[in-house]
Amino acid sequence: MKVSDLLKSRQANWRELEQLCSRMEGASRRALEAATVARFSSLYRSACADLALADAYQLPPATIHYLDRLVGRAHNQLYRSRAFNFATWGRQLLVDVPQRLFSDNSLRLAFSIFWGMFLLSALMAYTTPGFSQRVLGEDGIMLLEEMYSEPIQGRAAGLSGGMAGFYIHHNTSIGLQCFAFGLLFGVAGLYITAVNAAFLGAAFGHMATVPQADNFFHFVTAHGPFELTAVVLSAAAGMKLGFSLIDPGGLERTAALRRAGRETMPTMGAAMVMFLLAAIIEGFLSPSAAPYWTKAAVAVLSAGLLTVYFLVLGYPRGD
Amino acid sequence: MAADGRQLDNTIEIVTPENIAFRYQVAGPFRRLPAYLIDLVIRAVVFVGVTFLVMLLFGLAGIPFPGIALIFVFLFFLEWLYGGLFETFWNGQTPGKRLMQIRVLSIDGQPINGLQAMLRNVLRVVDQQPVAFCLVGLVTAMMNDRFQRMGDLACGTMVVVEERPWFHGVIRLNHPEVIRLAGQVPASFQAGPTLVQTLATYVERRAALPPMRRLEIARHLAEPLRKEFNLSPGTNPDLLLCGLYQRTFITDWDEATSPRTGSPFQEPGTS
Repeated sequence: MKVSDLLKSRQANWRELEQLCSRMEGASRRALEAATVARFSSLYRSACADLALADAYQLPPATIHYLDRLVGRAHNQLYRSRAFNFATWGRQLLVDVPQRLFSDNSLRLAFSIFWGMFLLSALMAYTTPGFSQRVLGEDGIMLLEEMYSEPIQGRAAGLSGGMAGFYIHHNTSIGLQCFAFGLLFGVAGLYITAVNAAFLGAAFGHMATVPQADNFFHFVTAHGPFELTAVVLSAAAGMKLGFSLIDPGGLERTAALRRAGRETMPTMGAAMVMFLLAAIIEGFLSPSAAPYWTKAAVAVLSAGLLTVYFLVLGYPRGD
Repeated sequence: MAADGRQLDNTIEIVTPENIAFRYQVAGPFRRLPAYLIDLVIRAVVFVGVTFLVMLLFGLAGIPFPGIALIFVFLFFLEWLYGGLFETFWNGQTPGKRLMQIRVLSIDGQPINGLQAMLRNVLRVVDQQPVAFCLVGLVTAMMNDRFQRMGDLACGTMVVVEERPWFHGVIRLNHPEVIRLAGQVPASFQAGPTLVQTLATYVERRAALPPMRRLEIARHLAEPLRKEFNLSPGTNPDLLLCGLYQRTFITDWDEATSPRTGSPFQEPGTS
């Protein structure tokens, strides 16, 4: 049995497998008949067998290379990517995520840093003249004061919707960046969290001292709880990734990182839902002319929902 | 950088559920960067096109602001979810990856799932640091043998080359001298596995070599063989190796003119 004869006898099969691969890669995949799929898997297995026996057959290296590529290509068509498992999403978001976050040290750290810096910065800006200028810059202060110089009267019809879209894009992007940069050993995440908290705190502290204070709080109250919680959550998820590299907990570092990645993705899902809610409130309710007590009520309600989510759903269960 | 120093080129071995091991070539930066740039161009073009269309439609309808909202949400999808969604529903490929013939797989060779696809695309911003120079990603990728960037490490994926294979069978050499030399190889001579590999590699590559270079390379193997076969000293070393290739892969010594027919191997499905 010479190699050329062997190749001659197999070539037709391999070519057919190639053609079937092309068809399965194309859009017509769903239209394939059962018999074709069965034929595909039979051809795939026979190509696998040829590859396994390549050394015994003494195939030339170029043919082995060809077979490697062919088997790889067919393998990727036979074992295809699984899309999202939507059925488990509800359980993930409402049960697994709060349970995991309740005892999550990264979240505690991110929470303490964010609120610590925020309160410190706000207090400094409120009591020390000139502090907010040094943090935010003269231009930043000017811009901020100008933005809230008009009472909140509601926007031109339809503009709210446009702004909601902007907030979805802008705020969620910041959250995702906060998350991703946590990967750099948590340091970048810590830094971004602290800096953002300092900026926000200075802005709050400063605006409380100026005549525009009413307009400012009129605007920020309603969406505050969801938005700030979502930022803290994103930062915490990122830090968890970064800390898994520092303290792999007995695993290999890459394995620890993979586990952290699996655990933090649902957390990011929860954060993105919060960003979405915040953006809708920020786009529609915050700039509207609705009286302050409605906005305060929304803030209290959302804070209550978050408390239930983190403390009630998250409280460790006996099982 | 395999620990045992065995791996010289960037291939990795996958064991399939059929208990067969096959090899993938891991995709390096010179395939992945063009793929990314293609995707970037596609995203930019789509964004400009959609913006134009939406503004036209909503502008004509007299309600521009919902259109703006739509554009921002669409921009968010393009920026953060484009890669993830494509890799989820296109089996580990984006349009750019498909053009560059690469695919994302789990490190065990299994297809990726939606969460992995999302995570590795969100984490791309880290790999692109500092400021789009991609140093984090490049350095990380160079430090492991699957060329994984940070995002790949975090979700256990890798990018492999998946080219449309081009069939290379045996090479036909119809030079009369080759046929003659093939007939002069003693009938009792059986080439061992390493010699077979060497012959195949040489003949596959000799087309790319100039004649003098062929002689230079072939001489080292052909000279001892020539002495063993008792051929005349003037035998061309290049053609002698080709003759041996002919003898080993294509014909038996006594069947130089009539290739045998029929094969003991069955077609799958007919057995």
